[in-house]
Amino acid sequence: MKPKVAFFSFTSCEGCQLMFLNLEDELLNLLGAVEIVKFREAMKEVTSDEYDVAFIEGSITTHSDIERIKSIREKTKILVAFGACATIGGINAIKNFQPLEDVRKYVYGERWDFYDTVPTMQVDQVVKVDAAIHGCPVSKKEMLEVITSLLLGKTPNIPDYPVCVECKLAENVCVFDKGMMCLGPVTRAGCGALCPSYGNKCIGCRGLITDPNTNAQKDLLEEKGLSVAEVLKEFRMFDGLSEVSK
Amino acid sequence: MLPKIIKKDDLRAFVEALLAENVVVAPTKKGIKYAFAEVDSFDEVALDYNITMLSPRKYFYPQNETVLKFKLGEKPSAEAVVESAPKIIFGMHPCDVAATWLLDVVFAEDPADPNYLSKRKKAVIIGMNCAKPCDEFSFCKDMKSYNATAGFDLMLTDLGDKYFVEVGTEAGEALLVAGAQASEASADDLKALQEWQNGKEKSFVNRIPYDTKFLPEILGASDDSLVWEAIARKCLSCGSCNTTCPTCYCFTVRDEVASNLVDGERKRIWDSCQLDEFAEVAGGENFRKARSARLRHRFNRKGKWLLERYGKSGCVGCGRCDRNCLVKISSVEVYTQLAGERAK
Repeated sequence: MKPKVAFFSFTSCEGCQLMFLNLEDELLNLLGAVEIVKFREAMKEVTSDEYDVAFIEGSITTHSDIERIKSIREKTKILVAFGACATIGGINAIKNFQPLEDVRKYVYGERWDFYDTVPTMQVDQVVKVDAAIHGCPVSKKEMLEVITSLLLGKTPNIPDYPVCVECKLAENVCVFDKGMMCLGPVTRAGCGALCPSYGNKCIGCRGLITDPNTNAQKDLLEEKGLSVAEVLKEFRMFDGLSEVSK
Repeated sequence: MLPKIIKKDDLRAFVEALLAENVVVAPTKKGIKYAFAEVDSFDEVALDYNITMLSPRKYFYPQNETVLKFKLGEKPSAEAVVESAPKIIFGMHPCDVAATWLLDVVFAEDPADPNYLSKRKKAVIIGMNCAKPCDEFSFCKDMKSYNATAGFDLMLTDLGDKYFVEVGTEAGEALLVAGAQASEASADDLKALQEWQNGKEKSFVNRIPYDTKFLPEILGASDDSLVWEAIARKCLSCGSCNTTCPTCYCFTVRDEVASNLVDGERKRIWDSCQLDEFAEVAGGENFRKARSARLRHRFNRKGKWLLERYGKSGCVGCGRCDRNCLVKISSVEVYTQLAGERAK
């Protein structure tokens, strides 16, 4: 029997689920291997309330989110955190550095007290996560690596080294050499150094590597002219929940 | 083989003749830096480049190379992939020639590496001698690689109005005969080369305050040095010292399976001993977890172990490691401090 797969949206733009749909050439193969039972961005009906694999896009930001993710965890065999909002909190965590009441007033105006919120959490702060697909948005290649690995019963190859590795292999001119700042030295690779390859800096969307030398990175950014506040701002864009942003 | 002379104005015709018959890669401008790339015309060649971001090792040992194609499923099968195509590498500097020479020895060692060797055998190296160091990061004189003595097919030296051409191999000579208006070098040309060489000796300086033949001995006595801990504090472990090094040859292997769950490819991808995962083995044990241990490992490979194993230095002093280090860890300083001396 094909494993049943369900997609769930929490606080996010649902862009990572769109990336899944963008796997156009692979979709027929994947649908041959799994049965998708719930995916609101792609299908109207929910064909089954049972599922083996749950893909979770988005951060946990309300009390009801907490209850919902717990109930999904109880039902699913495998839970995959899908995209930066789910794996590291991502940009949703920016609000954690402001009073939540202010945030609610700013977003919801007069009826702010009508809307519940809690400090942003990444999924594994609430329930156990079995696999993580990083990025904002996720990369198609890594998504395929995780899906095929799950189907084959092997551990997926998820890089735990910095973006600099992939940037050097691509023989890009270093972002720092162009007089710009970059979070590449401490940010998890797997994107193929996409942003630096197109002339931008790395903004850290895939989260930090396991053992980053964040003090050295902070020193580096300061030496290049950023104030401490600006350094923190760089990190807080995506890595608000990590130690480095505190 | 006897050296030849090509007039300055004839170099364009020589390169164009090479381009007409061959795939030619050469240093080209890439943003504010240089990179070896395939060229279609002489005008794309940056003859006056100082150093490329990556060395031409990428042509023999690509960053990401398929070495096996396999099929899973009911009838599993596997087939080795060895791809190679003839190539002329034009404009290689002596340090990169020396690095290639080391890689030739390493990859030919039993078990020989067909993926490297097949590409290498089909490549012709036309070197370009350097009159001055690339920049303040070069320490090629210390590592004795600033003059190319072997490892090239042709080596050109710019003598002002002409190129002095050392001929290293018959393949190089054949290209010269077929494509260049080359003449025999005269006694005067040899004298001019000697004068040029005298000037070169002055413009390249030693930066390490001792003969690097003592490096194995110094590194051998430095296992407990405080230097490793000191540089570990600022090391980002980004791996750029390895990924840009012309003599690094460590790779990782990854299997990628297509979405049909049948077709797969095994890739070998450049790796770096500075990365956290590099020395992690099955069971999760990591026998070089500490940053300082990783750094000590790299310096020992560059300055000691490869020399002892292959008779050739693992470092050619091109300076790419130091040049690309965001936190300014300097090989020259490390070697100097290890010997208990202050940098000049």
